[in-house]
Amino acid sequence: MTAIRNILGFFLSLRTALWLLGIMLLLMFAGALIMPGRQEFQALHGTPLFSWLRTQPLSITWWMWGLIGLLAVLAANTLFCSVESVLKKRKVTQWLLIIAPQVIHIGFLFVLLAHLMSAQGARQSQAAVWEGSVVALPGSTMTLKVRDINIILDYYGYIRDWEVDVEYLAAGKALHQDRIMPNNPSVRQGFNVTVKDLRARPPQAVLLQINREPGAAWALAGGILFMIGITTLVVLRIRMER
Amino acid sequence: MWLLAASFALYLFSLWKKNLLYGGLLLQSIYLTWRGAQLGRLPLVGPHDTLIFMTASVAAFAVPFGSALRDKKAFFSAVAAGAAAFTAFATTAQQHNTPLPPVLETFWFEFHVVLAFMAYALFGITAIFGALSLRDDDGAFEGLGYRAALIGYCLFTLSMIFGGIWAYLAWGTYWLWTPKELWTGILWGFYSFYLHGRLRPWWTGRPMAWLSIAGFAITLFTYLGVSLLMKSSHSF
Repeated sequence: MTAIRNILGFFLSLRTALWLLGIMLLLMFAGALIMPGRQEFQALHGTPLFSWLRTQPLSITWWMWGLIGLLAVLAANTLFCSVESVLKKRKVTQWLLIIAPQVIHIGFLFVLLAHLMSAQGARQSQAAVWEGSVVALPGSTMTLKVRDINIILDYYGYIRDWEVDVEYLAAGKALHQDRIMPNNPSVRQGFNVTVKDLRARPPQAVLLQINREPGAAWALAGGILFMIGITTLVVLRIRMER
Repeated sequence: MWLLAASFALYLFSLWKKNLLYGGLLLQSIYLTWRGAQLGRLPLVGPHDTLIFMTASVAAFAVPFGSALRDKKAFFSAVAAGAAAFTAFATTAQQHNTPLPPVLETFWFEFHVVLAFMAYALFGITAIFGALSLRDDDGAFEGLGYRAALIGYCLFTLSMIFGGIWAYLAWGTYWLWTPKELWTGILWGFYSFYLHGRLRPWWTGRPMAWLSIAGFAITLFTYLGVSLLMKSSHSF
């Protein structure tokens, strides 16, 4: 019984959160020193985090493993503290002041979940394509056909704008047409297709970036919740002090 | 450039005459508006423009925070000294006068940058309050610093969310493992630590004051150090 009470006390403590955050900061500082000097981290842009971690030496990844472990404990600590706070203070009149930090915490947990999902299930690939090229979408029966590439240059030769018309195909049958533009990716069935690079001189070509980010929607939801919570908290604090 | 030189002089002279700070802020606002009109976009790319924007933000935020103080002199002197130093640095920094690549022409990017630099400015103000609280052992300074940090943290989080949305739209992913993102994570984690730390009595007072100064040092390294010393997706 004492052991359970101790474990509960550990997870319900703000001191635990501070220790965890402090150690995490130290690990990130260590990572910030290791990362710039190692080429291996370049591959992280094209590989899901967990797959990358499994193939890299512990001498450069120890701080990331440490961070993952601490984040798991911090997630549990956040959850326990939020539940306790709501239960303890549920009868106070300023309930928004009690709820707002918990909304922030839920947002934070959603963002953590998003990173976890992406670290496990993200898929990234690239393909250099021309008009008429057909690209396989990894792990899908669909293919992507590039119908048209239109690159607009200004007087000085800078790329001012571009459009890439694409068509999704399944078993040779057209399913959907889309247009990729700057900050306007083609998003379909979890795939996000953007243009990473362009070659303006004929034959015009583009480098397509084909991503699958299973955590993206969770990250957005978490971000929105976090913002609602923190904005409410700031407004309430300012109003209380007036 | 004479506008910048004049704003530098006004910030410097505001060490003696506080109201001249408003003049410096006004001239920098005019300068940024002129740069924006000249470039046809928000002037927030590269060290020159971003330093000016951050300096103007520090001066602008100093007005409401300073008005809450009984003894304004020390606070506004520290703001003036900081503003003058950053303005001097900005005049030596490179200007980016080329058109923006199409992926940067979006309000997601503009809000991402504007909010980040406003947050940096508020973290600067937090540090000034921290230093004053150490000097005078006055809890009022620390309380104001906490308020500035809370608003700064709110803006910084919003900036990160906007940056994530923009990155997803532009490059298909909301997070990249580069030194800039890592330092951004450190900065966000640090202020999470700061804000939670204040809830425990042990941390209030001098420890918080020291943390606020350390926080601004991390802010400056995240902003200038990483961009100048390391390869990243963010040039600034």
